Amino acid sequence: MTTLMFEIGGVWLLAVLAGFPLFASIGLAAFAFVALGGVSSAIVPQKMVQAMNSFPIVAAPLFILMGNILAAAKLTDRIVAFASSIVGALRGGYAHASIVTSMIFAGMVGSAVADAAGSGAIEIRSMRQAGYKPETAAAITAAAATIGPIIPPSLPMVIYGVTADVSVGRLFLGGIVPGVLMGLALMAMVMLVAKREGMVGHGFEGFANIARTFKDGFFALMAPVILLGGMFSGYFTPTEAAGVACVYALAMGLFIYRTFDIAKLPEILVETAETTGLVMVLVMTAGALGWCMSISRVPQTITPALVAAIDHPLMFLLVCNLLLLLVGCFMETLAALLILIPILAPAAQSFGVDPVQFGLIMIFNLILGTVHPPIGVVLFVVSRIAGVSFEKMSRAILPWLVPLLIVLAAITVWPPLTTWLPGLLMPR
Amino acid sequence: MIAPLVAPLVAVCDRLVRLLAIVGISALLGAVILGVLSRAWNDPLIWTDELSRFLMVWLACLGWILAGRKRIHIRIRFFQNMLPPRLRHGSEIAMQASVLLLGALIFWFSLILIERNADLEATMMPISMAWMFAPMALAGFATALQGLSEVVELLSGARSEDRPVA
Repeated sequence: MTTLMFEIGGVWLLAVLAGFPLFASIGLAAFAFVALGGVSSAIVPQKMVQAMNSFPIVAAPLFILMGNILAAAKLTDRIVAFASSIVGALRGGYAHASIVTSMIFAGMVGSAVADAAGSGAIEIRSMRQAGYKPETAAAITAAAATIGPIIPPSLPMVIYGVTADVSVGRLFLGGIVPGVLMGLALMAMVMLVAKREGMVGHGFEGFANIARTFKDGFFALMAPVILLGGMFSGYFTPTEAAGVACVYALAMGLFIYRTFDIAKLPEILVETAETTGLVMVLVMTAGALGWCMSISRVPQTITPALVAAIDHPLMFLLVCNLLLLLVGCFMETLAALLILIPILAPAAQSFGVDPVQFGLIMIFNLILGTVHPPIGVVLFVVSRIAGVSFEKMSRAILPWLVPLLIVLAAITVWPPLTTWLPGLLMPR
Repeated sequence: MIAPLVAPLVAVCDRLVRLLAIVGISALLGAVILGVLSRAWNDPLIWTDELSRFLMVWLACLGWILAGRKRIHIRIRFFQNMLPPRLRHGSEIAMQASVLLLGALIFWFSLILIERNADLEATMMPISMAWMFAPMALAGFATALQGLSEVVELLSGARSEDRPVA
């Protein structure tokens, strides 16, 4: 059965590269395996349903809903104003403010696209008004958007946690330090290039301004605090936190800031269902194919081969980084996660790599693919918002990948960056 | 010739799926919040988790149908776009036929699962486990129909080649 699975895997890979809809190619690969392997085909829809029949996965649509509500409630202006009052006085202040905004926004939304779409327009506008080159402003915004799925909440972390059977709460905690480091690394890069690029700040406007903008955006700024605080104080699980955050975002938009138009709610709910379906059909079909892989003992075949060929955990992680960076350039993040988790996670375990660290490394690598040509979704989104051509964006983003790659290297070689906080707050 | 007859029916089905999706996600949010509140009131409800899981399956399947209708399912078109137009057209027909096949398979085997689980009751709620598999049959049927309509459009020339992702 192992050989059969490898043969089907080869055909499936060709089909994916040829442009078959991903869910259809994964689903048909699972059906082909059970049909040729003499197993009842009813197992495929059964495993698809089983992939959804889990309480942690419920967090996914609720985090998507929260992001959509926040975007519709137009809370970004207040967050940008607050970030600008803190770091706007530095050289390259508007770029710093953009990065800090993305870090705060990352505590509310769970994906890089949501981060870019939600805060990108206003960030780019403020940088361009300050005389920054359009492609530089867009590149900084795109690079900062990658913090979105690293600082919790995070949709890829929910998917990784459910698929690899790792605590979503621990993954969320593990993402905080790398996410902050990403922000700081990007800000350090701004410091380095600000003078040469002529990036200005706006002068310090006083502590009274910080207090005013904080007051203005208080309830929006409290969203990550409520979300993470509730989760890690044990009041609610990550799934329940997602639900509470939705209600909070709705209450904020409707009653506090009154910026949310209730007439838009049905459209937002449908949009949430669409995005959920887009992602979940992949999770479902990957669940069926994952089951096929496990009964054909693919991980048990690949893992010893990997362990025999690579004799050091660090070398294994280096190989994984290169593989995932390459895959991330051509494949959508969640799809790549779902396909590679059953193969790489058991191997990482046999090398003694902490599952939280490995999860973060996987997600980080694949997220970098979203700001890298040829399939960089975040690049597409930001280039459209900024009105900059994709080709120009593709060149402008390259220097901004350097600080992110440095952080990736740091979390690869030094596990405490990802494991210290979960160990401290959620000891096993 | 049949398009004018089918179009209103498709529009009604689209509206129905959108309505079900709105109800589904609202109910999902309600069930999760009810679980938090009932626990806070020291009177935890035992069925909210199970209800959430049922609703999750429904929501995933309804969202799958909606994404299919909007043609936004994830595909890597990088290499397909490099093909000459005729070959691209032919490959698109093959791909949509594969969607039709998958939908039909899921529909058929989900019906079998519905039948097998009809007598089984859920753990906490007094409903049949068949309700867990019912949306799969629905999604499979809708996917097969969508694939069929795409194949017909491509063969009849109503679509010259694949349309860009919505």
